[in-house]
Amino acid sequence: MNKIVIDDMFLTVGTPTTAGSKMLEGYNSLFEAEVLTRLNAAGYTITGKAKVGEFGVDLLGETSYFGADYEKDTLQYPAAVQVKSGEAEAAVVLDVNGAPRRGAAQNNLVALKPTYGMVSRYGTIPVACSGETVSVVAANAADCREVFAAMAGHDAKDGTSLPESMVDAGKAAVTKKNKVAVLSSMLKGTSEEVQAQIAAVSENLAKNGVEVVTVDAETIAYAGAAWNILMSAELCNNVSRYDGVKYGYRTKTYTNIDELYTNSRTEAFGELLKSAILFGSETLSTENYQKVYDKALRVRRVISEAMKALLADCDALLMPAASVTAYSKAMVEADKYLPYKENFYTAPASITGLPVVVAGGVQLVGNAFSEDVLLDLAELV
Amino acid sequence: MDREVLRRLCLLNQLSLTDTQKDDVISFFADRDADTAALDAIDTEHVERMVHVMPILTVVREDVVSQPFSREDLQAGAPETDEGYWCVPRVLE
Repeated sequence: MNKIVIDDMFLTVGTPTTAGSKMLEGYNSLFEAEVLTRLNAAGYTITGKAKVGEFGVDLLGETSYFGADYEKDTLQYPAAVQVKSGEAEAAVVLDVNGAPRRGAAQNNLVALKPTYGMVSRYGTIPVACSGETVSVVAANAADCREVFAAMAGHDAKDGTSLPESMVDAGKAAVTKKNKVAVLSSMLKGTSEEVQAQIAAVSENLAKNGVEVVTVDAETIAYAGAAWNILMSAELCNNVSRYDGVKYGYRTKTYTNIDELYTNSRTEAFGELLKSAILFGSETLSTENYQKVYDKALRVRRVISEAMKALLADCDALLMPAASVTAYSKAMVEADKYLPYKENFYTAPASITGLPVVVAGGVQLVGNAFSEDVLLDLAELV
Repeated sequence: MDREVLRRLCLLNQLSLTDTQKDDVISFFADRDADTAALDAIDTEHVERMVHVMPILTVVREDVVSQPFSREDLQAGAPETDEGYWCVPRVLE
């Protein structure tokens, strides 16, 4: 395997990095992301960049300043399309808000979002730093495993990169239980097709000797609400740097510095991003900090502990990647805030930093450092 | 959320919205407020905040003098320069 496509959230030298936003149109970095250096050193060829939604926070790229991709009225995730068509053998992407997992699920590909801190984020566009993770989308589990091995490892340039000793100890503590639990509380709002995918994956695992049980943990169903708060707050802070002076887009219509800032940001940011910024800002306000942001941080711990308790007895929690198997143009246009609703399904892994594999259209969320076990399960799906 | 609060948030975040966008954002906030209220079902009184999902270690290293980029490289993306200096929009009235 050789050809890799990356998404437009990675800094590259010689080609612009835009994060799908008018704000960064034409922005050229002087250095490249650590992940790309590692992939190049391992002999991979980066074939190009796939479009992303603005700052990676949407469903599948529909908010990209450079246009959404639809095929036969179905919204497409550009990186997954490249893999599915064979133009690239794998995609290396930044999972900010679940788009790569939704894209893999829709295209029946395999995706791996590793344990938070296993892959360097140095040189990625920061959005929701406490949860976003460099991830892989490929045609099968073996390809995901190979690319993950090439890019994982400690990077002193990334303050959230885990030291090798911690990773080694974490991997050594993982024991295979040959058991998967379907999380019934996460099936809420799913279509019949998605429920059929859950049933089919459960059946395939069982046929291959994996015990499949059903568990209920209502607490985990709150991950979406808590993640939406934390993600928006972090996004609000991270995009505050884009003011029309230091990076990218600058308005042509201003008479003073306030108008320069306001017009630049207003003209460059899309509607979903503006709403997310405003919501994030409100969660961090004096009036709301304790009851909203601080509350979400505490809920994050409750959810992490609930998932850890469930995973003490099994290898993975089986849950949907999305409410539907595909998003039509009508669905996307009817509700520009659909990503916030669809986070219900992807947030448990985002908010806890736990690894997750998408296979057979569904998610398998595992214990920290259990990537090998999850990919073994994906091979059975 | 009302229009006055939204006006303050826009001012803080240096954003401007049309009337239609304001209505959209107010409706968006109503959904988020409902989500946030739902979190009250989880008792977090004696739960510590979880800011980082993994332990964060302070990275310490010796300072090393280096010159990774030239002035020309650094200014290559600037909209306007003058004899090696960045030209920025006027900030004083």
